[in-house]
Amino acid sequence: MSSTETLYLLYISTGFTVGFGHCIGMCGPIVVSFSLNLKGKNILFPQLLYHVGRITTYAALGGVVAATGSLTMVAAHLEHLQKAVMIFAGALIVLMGLAMAGWLPIGRIFGDHSSPGKWISKGFGRLLKIKSTITYLPLGLLLGLLPCGPVYTALLGSARAGMESNSVYHGMLAGMGLMGAFGMGTAPALFLVARLAGMGWLKSRAVIYKAGAVLMIVAGLIFMVKAIRF
Amino acid sequence: MKTLLITFTVVILTAFLLAVAGSISAADKYQEMLNCDLHAGPCVQSVSGYTVTFEVTPRPVKAMKDLSFRITLDGKLPENPDLPYIDLGMPGMNMGPNRVKLKSAGDSAYEGRGVIVRCPSGRRIWQATITLPDVGRINFIFDVIY
Repeated sequence: MSSTETLYLLYISTGFTVGFGHCIGMCGPIVVSFSLNLKGKNILFPQLLYHVGRITTYAALGGVVAATGSLTMVAAHLEHLQKAVMIFAGALIVLMGLAMAGWLPIGRIFGDHSSPGKWISKGFGRLLKIKSTITYLPLGLLLGLLPCGPVYTALLGSARAGMESNSVYHGMLAGMGLMGAFGMGTAPALFLVARLAGMGWLKSRAVIYKAGAVLMIVAGLIFMVKAIRF
Repeated sequence: MKTLLITFTVVILTAFLLAVAGSISAADKYQEMLNCDLHAGPCVQSVSGYTVTFEVTPRPVKAMKDLSFRITLDGKLPENPDLPYIDLGMPGMNMGPNRVKLKSAGDSAYEGRGVIVRCPSGRRIWQATITLPDVGRINFIFDVIY
């Protein structure tokens, strides 16, 4: 096995272990919220699209970091955007929690066809109209930018791979491949959590359903507070 | 089975909230583990008869900055093709492998470049595990500025 193949395996296995040891705690609320929001519907395709989007963003970041050879430079440019994405993720979880509990008369944000209330702004109304499963792809692309320690650590390796490559092009490819491998490694843990949370039984469990919504709202608020302090 | 799944869902979200609360109390726990103030200057510890001086610059030590890591020993290491290295991690949290490879920088001194990444959880206590081949390992636990 070549050293490159070993490196890819290392990144996949790192993603896998970090996924179960870190991502479930930090990003679990996001995938659980998506699953709860899809109550009763098949979560496989939406979750798959979300992870494809997320991994694509990781790979793009890996390519950029490898091309520049510096994580710190890229991170400095992305700092404000990442903060905004974190606030957006928190707000989204809160909104989904409110909608799921029926405290916000807008139905589910994704995957539902109920009409939004008149008071909702036109912009948000447009968002609600984008209810197809495909919405999860751009969502994954965006949330792939969420600040995350292990992602930064993996990007450090991409920067190193970029510096050790013969050309910028090869470095970029290596960085993209490594981050793609890392992202794929993290997916099983998050997918498992989403799968277990995405059963159709919640419809008939009003109390648990409301409790889940409350927890989502609190989790979303915590996300937002963390983002503001980030 | 359904009851189990319902419980699991609530547990996941509750665990996240507890983890947040836990990280607050954990901050105190890890605070007690601190054995080095890298912002003030080099830290010194001993392992297997060697005195190891560990220094990170520039000071104060900030996350997401390019940093220089330096260790100095009070004696020569045994003959070994492997050089000393530093593994950076966070006590109690898997942040992925972050190794600083060191190169010889004169008599019993080794240097390398690295980055301490930032954790959105807000925890700032990091651990540098220095491995001296054929000698042993030593941990320096310190805080960083975000």
